[in-house]
Amino acid sequence: LVLNWATVYQAIFTNCTVKLITPMASGPAEPPRNKVTVVGVGMVGMACAVSILLRDLADELALVDVMEDKLKGEMMDLQHGSLFLKTSKIVADKDYAVTANSRIVVVTAGVRQQEGESRLNLVQRNVNIFKHIIPQIVKHSPNCTLIVVSNPVDVLTYVTWKLSGLPKHRVIGSGTNLDSARFRFLMAERLGIHATSFNGWVLGEHGDTSVPVWSGVSVAGVNLQKLNPEFGLDGDKEDWKATHKEVVDSAYEVIKLKGYTNWAIGLSVADLTESIIKNMSRIHPVSTMVKDMYGIGEEVFLSLPCVLNSNGVGSVINMTLTDAEVGQLKKSADTLWGIQKDLKDV
Amino acid sequence: MYCHTPCGPWSTVVHYIWNRDLCDELCLIDVMEDKLKGEVMDLQHGSLFCKTHKIVGDKDYSTTAHSKVVVVTAGARQQEGESRLNLVQRNVNIFKFIIPQIVKYSPNAILLVVSNPVDILTYVAWKLSGFPRHRVIGSGTNLDSGRFRHLMGEKLHLHPSSCHGWIIGEHGDSSVPVWSGVNVAGVSLKGLNPDMGTDADKEDWKHVHKMVVNGAYEVIKLKGYTSWAIGLSVADLVESILKNLHKVHPVSTLVKGMHGVKEEVFLSVPCVLGNSGLTDIIHMTLKPEEEKQLINSAETLWGVQKELTL
Repeated sequence: LVLNWATVYQAIFTNCTVKLITPMASGPAEPPRNKVTVVGVGMVGMACAVSILLRDLADELALVDVMEDKLKGEMMDLQHGSLFLKTSKIVADKDYAVTANSRIVVVTAGVRQQEGESRLNLVQRNVNIFKHIIPQIVKHSPNCTLIVVSNPVDVLTYVTWKLSGLPKHRVIGSGTNLDSARFRFLMAERLGIHATSFNGWVLGEHGDTSVPVWSGVSVAGVNLQKLNPEFGLDGDKEDWKATHKEVVDSAYEVIKLKGYTNWAIGLSVADLTESIIKNMSRIHPVSTMVKDMYGIGEEVFLSLPCVLNSNGVGSVINMTLTDAEVGQLKKSADTLWGIQKDLKDV
Repeated sequence: MYCHTPCGPWSTVVHYIWNRDLCDELCLIDVMEDKLKGEVMDLQHGSLFCKTHKIVGDKDYSTTAHSKVVVVTAGARQQEGESRLNLVQRNVNIFKFIIPQIVKYSPNAILLVVSNPVDILTYVAWKLSGFPRHRVIGSGTNLDSGRFRHLMGEKLHLHPSSCHGWIIGEHGDSSVPVWSGVNVAGVSLKGLNPDMGTDADKEDWKHVHKMVVNGAYEVIKLKGYTSWAIGLSVADLVESILKNLHKVHPVSTLVKGMHGVKEEVFLSVPCVLGNSGLTDIIHMTLKPEEEKQLINSAETLWGVQKELTL
């Protein structure tokens, strides 16, 4: 017995940690305050994760996926960069218990849009995946705000809302936040200014039938449609409408060229995450439940300017739209409802 | 202006540099034109969220003109189980095409070589470019040290930036952990635990170094390649250069005449980085066995280098 104690005693004295560090606070570790989970470690999920890490938004990051090796490899690769980051805990597992106590959960899981495939064709494939994912997220983080990125995002945000049972202000679709960013970039390029100095909103459905609100476009407070009454219309000699078409086509073009898009969507999701985590009440065009707005009678999700803060969608800005623009929103709503009503198990 | 070549999983390097607002113009180069164009467009679409106003890409090197820093990640990727030294001649041939073109358009640039085997390829880039040795730097053991400090942080429940440890020498299997320098708040861990780094060490710190060496292979086995950590470590180096920070980093430089090394080889030692490139080298006090390891690495690298056709 004496010999055993001597060995233990010796071990304690050669224990580096004990000699180096005197603990002050005992007890279990504090739970995270700004935990973010990213579901899906494909190119989009990782771009979201990295953008969030680089902006120092989270004190803990959790990754979930079904592909265990890929998941572990990605987690390790991020952890190896810890020295250069300020997110002290990065975890990953295929078991959703690892996501517990998240403030924000970003859902990028699902199958990727194929070359030439329209977003609406992805639907039932992704609904079946969500039936497995969403209840587990909510079980472990009942107070989180969900940001849905997977396409077709407006339909899948509806699906997520239904499957989660969460109130509508806590389920957001990344929506036209990216379309608006592309729009502002392309328009600003034409004028030789930075995208942040060009104010313009693309609303409605994320994708082929998104609605550029031409009447709201301005630079330094100068309304462009007042300068050029043809702005955005078919007769427009300057053909600004072509720039919106470029926005719609650009996702397909990037996919055709490099196989997928990830950097821009990753950054746009980090932008949304920042507003929510920091309770900023900034306005973003994101997909929200629009029933009873603009004469829409169905439960569909479309992008409108939303005030994002720690509640999720705090409020929605009532934009003044032309009759034609309202007509486009209603048409999108009808198309989306046409798909949603036929979905099984939602 | 900053230039990167080429795209691939290591386009994450680009992403970090862009995301950290380090440069005013970013240029990408690759031979795969579609992939290149797609990557450039994807980055441009994120302009609203960043402060790099110009992002360009082309397979023609004239777009790289006037670059301040050129990061070279071009080359074949390490396969599962393949050691870094096996990649050599494949990558030398690619460099013979790339380096002269970079030099032609940006004669005053600082070259930062990342492609593996990095120590040999930094030597190759130096020879092919004709640049002075302070303007050709290899990413070296900046990443190995980052991995080591992360693991040390896990072991001690501290943030990696508070755990100090230097891994020098060859980036890869025979990197050298300088145990005498490992410290927390100035407290030498080897002073507390004299067995540290030896086989007798009950805390098995030697295993921590082994995990650093194997770390890359393990990540490659799991996800096919490594990208995030190397990207972050290169952005860290670029930041020191572009912001003239004079921070000390373990990077690969010409070490002939130091620590008993006789050959013209590049190995990682602590170097001061600023806007003219590598301004100074910190001379570490190494134990005889640590110096011997550096000399052995130098001989191995020279053995490969002398067979190369440049």
